[in-house]
Amino acid sequence: MKITKQAKREAKQLYRLCVVKGLLDENRVRQVVPRVVATGGRDCPSILAHFLRLVKLDCAEHTATIESATPLPADLQTVVQTELTHRYGPGLTTVFAQRPELIGGMRIQVGCDVYDGSVRAGLEALAKSF
Amino acid sequence: MAKLIEEIEAQIAGAKTTAKQNVGVIREVGDGVAKIDGLSDAMLNEMIDLGHGVTGLALNLDATEVGVVVLGDYTQLKQGDEVRTTGKVLQVPVGKGLLGRVVNVLGEPVDGKGPIKYDKTYPVEKTAPGIIRRRSVDQPVQTGIMAIDAMIPIGRGQRELIIGDRATGKTTICIDTIISQARLNKAAETAGDKGYRQLYCIYVAIGQKESTIARFIAALEAAGAMPYTIIVAATASESAANQYLVPFAGAAMGEWFMDNGMDALIVYDDLSKQAVAYRQVSLLLKRPSGREAFPGDVFYLHSRLLERAARVGEKYGNGSLTAMPIIETQAGDVSAYIPTNVISITDGQIFLETDLFYQGQRPAINVGISVSRVGSAAQLKAMKQVAGHLKGELAQFRELAAFAQFGSDLDAKTQAQIDRGKRIMEIFKQGQYNPIPVEVQVLVIWTAQNGYLDQVPVARVKEFQNKLTEYFTTRKGELLARIGKEKAISDVLKADLKAAADEFKQTWK
Repeated sequence: MKITKQAKREAKQLYRLCVVKGLLDENRVRQVVPRVVATGGRDCPSILAHFLRLVKLDCAEHTATIESATPLPADLQTVVQTELTHRYGPGLTTVFAQRPELIGGMRIQVGCDVYDGSVRAGLEALAKSF
Repeated sequence: MAKLIEEIEAQIAGAKTTAKQNVGVIREVGDGVAKIDGLSDAMLNEMIDLGHGVTGLALNLDATEVGVVVLGDYTQLKQGDEVRTTGKVLQVPVGKGLLGRVVNVLGEPVDGKGPIKYDKTYPVEKTAPGIIRRRSVDQPVQTGIMAIDAMIPIGRGQRELIIGDRATGKTTICIDTIISQARLNKAAETAGDKGYRQLYCIYVAIGQKESTIARFIAALEAAGAMPYTIIVAATASESAANQYLVPFAGAAMGEWFMDNGMDALIVYDDLSKQAVAYRQVSLLLKRPSGREAFPGDVFYLHSRLLERAARVGEKYGNGSLTAMPIIETQAGDVSAYIPTNVISITDGQIFLETDLFYQGQRPAINVGISVSRVGSAAQLKAMKQVAGHLKGELAQFRELAAFAQFGSDLDAKTQAQIDRGKRIMEIFKQGQYNPIPVEVQVLVIWTAQNGYLDQVPVARVKEFQNKLTEYFTTRKGELLARIGKEKAISDVLKADLKAAADEFKQTWK
């Protein structure tokens, strides 16, 4: 789908309207989508496509994915959550996942930032250095 | 034991991988360009690790995406692949280890002669030397092409544009210049002349056929010029991104020589193709287009590249980087967008004409509109003495010759001027890959200016010139050596030249 500059601009305006105090307001997002659909404009699908992309990017930015080879104990989870909230501010959703291929250690991704302290990453770095 | 423990600790510290990384995801990829979501920390011109051993260059930094040109095989990449920043801007290896080698845009060897030894890299995009570091041009680049050395002299650190239609001999001029430098370098090495500043050459091939490049390499090898030359190539089969970046990579290699107090000459063959490649990249990155669909910063593309050519002051190493950009015109139109841009950036231009080429005037230099704005300060005094008025005389000759076409009767003086002009034009004809030493050039022009050619039929001028050169090289070598040594024609030298030329004239039939 070709998204015109006008559609991108309008989607961005809608997205800004949904942001309250630096955080995306889910209720506003829920209101925006049916309203745009109801207008039935020609650009409606492309506006919504771009709006969806912006919402996805926002969600990714405010989601911390913590991966480890084995499940993390509850106290460690709390420590990690507190540290991340301290660094990235409130409104951060944390998701804990298990990835055995990491072998050991932890991999945390918040938006574009990755903190990879897994054994697998260490081995890969070591392999690259030779 | 304590040392061993320290070493292990250092290695463990180096192997730590918890450092923050910045990643993104490929949203779309095609035509050598990838759009990436994420990469919020990416810098402009930063190398992006696209995975599969492929590197990209971040060129567009938008709020929600990063536009990356792929410097490799983009067919391996797919949507959803994770990519990461490297924290490094694009760099190429530099140093003398590159001499005699053919490399690609990343400085990797493509000549099958094994890996290149280097201990330093330079960023491809670098700010040009500032005003304080620069000094004016005062040393010549002997191209070995008589018409250029006599009338459009080039100095070390100058930017001289070679402009003309296709197949008019633009590249040949540059190859001749490279061969000439190699001969001078070699002669200085053989003579043990430590005062001579060697001039290393870098030939940047942009969007050319691989067969053409192979031909140039063969010509340079045959002339023994490769040990002093680096060839940086982004051929027609390579991506537009490579073709756009290759002149910058070449400039970085040349800058190393300049920064280390040496002299280098860089040939960009040609910048029209680079502009076209840059237009392609810009259009794929959806940058707004301007005149002839070129992006708005196409002038800056060439100006920032050519500004890197400079002569730096003694305090800063006394090195230089001379640039010879080539521009291909369409049907002799020098007023097109890219030619006018580059003309305005450079310190002069050598204009080649198709008509002259097919009339047999080779190199087909149009002396009337070719200029060198700063090179005369660097010209050899002897050459200045013999060729100082040559440009004006030839301009007069062209005017008179055009007038004489109407068939009107001419007075003796006018006829003599026309005859002299025809002979001078004849001596400026020169075969390709055959640069002439500056002493011989001075001698030939001196004989023409002193009327030794006036009695020689125009058709036999070249023959006279060849015999004269042979006579002086074999029998009067010391006179040629004196021209080169004294660098000026004194009254004594003039008398000796006259005696020798008279002697030769008697033997000439």
